[in-house]
Amino acid sequence: MKTAKRILITIMAIMLLTPSLAMAHDHSEPTTKTPASDLRSTLDQLLSEHFALATTAMMKDYDDAEDAEQAYAALDQNAMDMTPAVASVYGDEAAAQFEEIFVNHNDYSPDFVEAAKSGDEAMREEAEAEVDEFVEEFGEFLSTATEGNLPADAAKEVLAAHEEDVISTFDHYVNEEYEEAYGAYREGFHRMFDISKALSTAITTQMPDQFENTKADTPAADLRSTLNSLASEHFALAALEMQKGYDQASDYDFVTWAENMHTEDFKAAIASIYGDEGAAQFEKVWQQDHINAQSDIITAALEEDEEARMQAEESLQMFAEEFGAFLGTSTEGNLPAEAATEAVWQHEEQVLATFDNYVAGDYEAAYESYREGYGFMFGIGETLGEAIVTQMPDQFAGEEMPEEMPKTGFGGATDAASTTWMWVAFAVTALAGAGFMIRKNANQ
Amino acid sequence: MKWKIYFTVVGLVALLLTAYSTDVFANWTNSSEPEEDTRGELSSQSDENLTPPEEDVPLDEEFTILNDQETLEKFQTEKKKEEGITPTHIKIPSIDVDASIEQVGILDNGQMGVPQEMEKVGWFEPGTKPGDTGNSVLAGHVDSKTGPAVFFKLDQLEEGDDIIVSDEEGTELTYTVKRMESYPYTDSPINEIFGPTDQKNLNLITCTGTFNREAGTHDERLVVYTELVEPEQPEEEEEQELDIQAPTNVEVSGTFITWHAVRVEGVAGYRVYKSTDGENYEKVASISSHERKSFTDEEAADHSYYVTTVYLDGTESDPSKVAPE
Repeated sequence: MKTAKRILITIMAIMLLTPSLAMAHDHSEPTTKTPASDLRSTLDQLLSEHFALATTAMMKDYDDAEDAEQAYAALDQNAMDMTPAVASVYGDEAAAQFEEIFVNHNDYSPDFVEAAKSGDEAMREEAEAEVDEFVEEFGEFLSTATEGNLPADAAKEVLAAHEEDVISTFDHYVNEEYEEAYGAYREGFHRMFDISKALSTAITTQMPDQFENTKADTPAADLRSTLNSLASEHFALAALEMQKGYDQASDYDFVTWAENMHTEDFKAAIASIYGDEGAAQFEKVWQQDHINAQSDIITAALEEDEEARMQAEESLQMFAEEFGAFLGTSTEGNLPAEAATEAVWQHEEQVLATFDNYVAGDYEAAYESYREGYGFMFGIGETLGEAIVTQMPDQFAGEEMPEEMPKTGFGGATDAASTTWMWVAFAVTALAGAGFMIRKNANQ
Repeated sequence: MKWKIYFTVVGLVALLLTAYSTDVFANWTNSSEPEEDTRGELSSQSDENLTPPEEDVPLDEEFTILNDQETLEKFQTEKKKEEGITPTHIKIPSIDVDASIEQVGILDNGQMGVPQEMEKVGWFEPGTKPGDTGNSVLAGHVDSKTGPAVFFKLDQLEEGDDIIVSDEEGTELTYTVKRMESYPYTDSPINEIFGPTDQKNLNLITCTGTFNREAGTHDERLVVYTELVEPEQPEEEEEQELDIQAPTNVEVSGTFITWHAVRVEGVAGYRVYKSTDGENYEKVASISSHERKSFTDEEAADHSYYVTTVYLDGTESDPSKVAPE
């Protein structure tokens, strides 16, 4: 399976590479589907999933939940997925260095939990010192790798803020200050998308040619990333809410609170594109047969009421219809209603599978469905984003700039460099291809 | 020998009559613990009209209660303990009444029964127990054929005077006189005296006015309305025990009305009330404690809402803050 995937990736990379070298670039219409935007989206996914899984695993561990181990395993798996992505941009050596720094930093999480459980202050201080060291080391790594396009200080600042988000979410959780905990969770979750933007912009600026001179921070790429964050946060909160609800955990109401806050953000995003009326319509559809029904699934499981479960599933199906129709109408068919409904229902099935596996006590399967469902949301970000950008190109048009620098020489003196250049381009496009494939797989 | 048979027959008949008048048969069908019946423990269950208001809707139909049978039983037992007393003694210091209480029921002709003895006070046993929410009723004679009886000086009571009733174990409840009314014998506000109320009242009845020889009774009835003086200490304890709290963080979020759970033991669920004009609220939903703390209403933006907490014993909290503010 893995070999097959690798072969596919390679083929895909070659296929992607060929036209990009052969054809002239057509920038007349804005699009979310650029290599730079793809890179940003891949980083969106990997980094935000890291945050969601890290905080979830720490909470589960602190509660001695049965699925704590599987949550940590999923967190590690997420880190492993980053390595090939780094390797494709910066090579194996850098990737190995990355892995050593990054994968190991996940080991600090259990230390924080252990320190909180036993009230061991020395252990806590040690863990904090290790985090500081990680921030220092990884900040330097990113700065070196991007050749200063992401300055070391800026990198360290943002990494420190991220670590602070994770620790503060956990500390508030331990202190049973749940509103603060989920406030920190939401802030920390969205910070990952800021990091992703900064990092992808630095990389694409560093190697403009490998990304076909596309930019990671165009309005279209911003829209895609915004949709990525809204869709994936929904999935993360839904999965968490359903588990907390099923466990009747004391922070349950605060996950639902976070969901309401998320709905408001989503509504505001829709309002900025389709106006207040569209936003109000969105909210109604989003809440009634969706968020509501999702909670009915929990209630049905708690009450062991199969009829209620069927009803809730019917509601979710209705939501898929309604939301698909809403998206179809809003995008004026650029995202066909039928395709949207199908994608929404696929998402609902992933949410249900994650919950059902959790209820059944099959935690490994639960985190598998979690990661699959989580990744799927980035396909929604891409597809929906593209539909919106195609619908209103004027609103997402980037600055008018020349495609390429003027050709002020004929290359007589710099010929040798061009082969190296080709290889780097190959690797980078392979990364973009990998991201594309991951989404493709999730879509199937 | 004849006398023995005679006494046995009369005795049995008397026993049956007593049993009938104290509703024993009804109670036997409801309970497996007949020894409690004679003390009227279960009488409130056997008399639909006089059940406390919170039992009108069965809680377990309104809310789904999960794996909480034990908790439910615990709270209902606690409730039983907090229920009123079976009065056996009454003291009214201001008019020197110090008498024992017997139980009376409803006579065949529909009248409230009266005590056999002139020096005793009758407690209307099918009704509310002293200490419970509702109207408890005591009746005593004003006089006998030969002279004054237990409630002879009842008309001398004044507002603020204390009435103390106690049960066999010596638990005392103090009531204070609120007002006194005389009604024509044939035209008394029965519902006001016996019917349901939110307060914890004890109403004393005796005869007053002139004795009507034709009717064989006085032409008026004196009713002394008294209200329970809530003992400070036990009430606090009760609140601590149940920790009655209204839900917090009630908000309207899109089409959702949301709030935060009241995280104490013994919560059955929540009731959501809705208003169009901001004044008159109507109950629109009952949400069990394990469900998502939200209620969906498409027209949420045009209405205001509050939520109450409902406990397993039926207690309902004060309304939460109204949302949107």
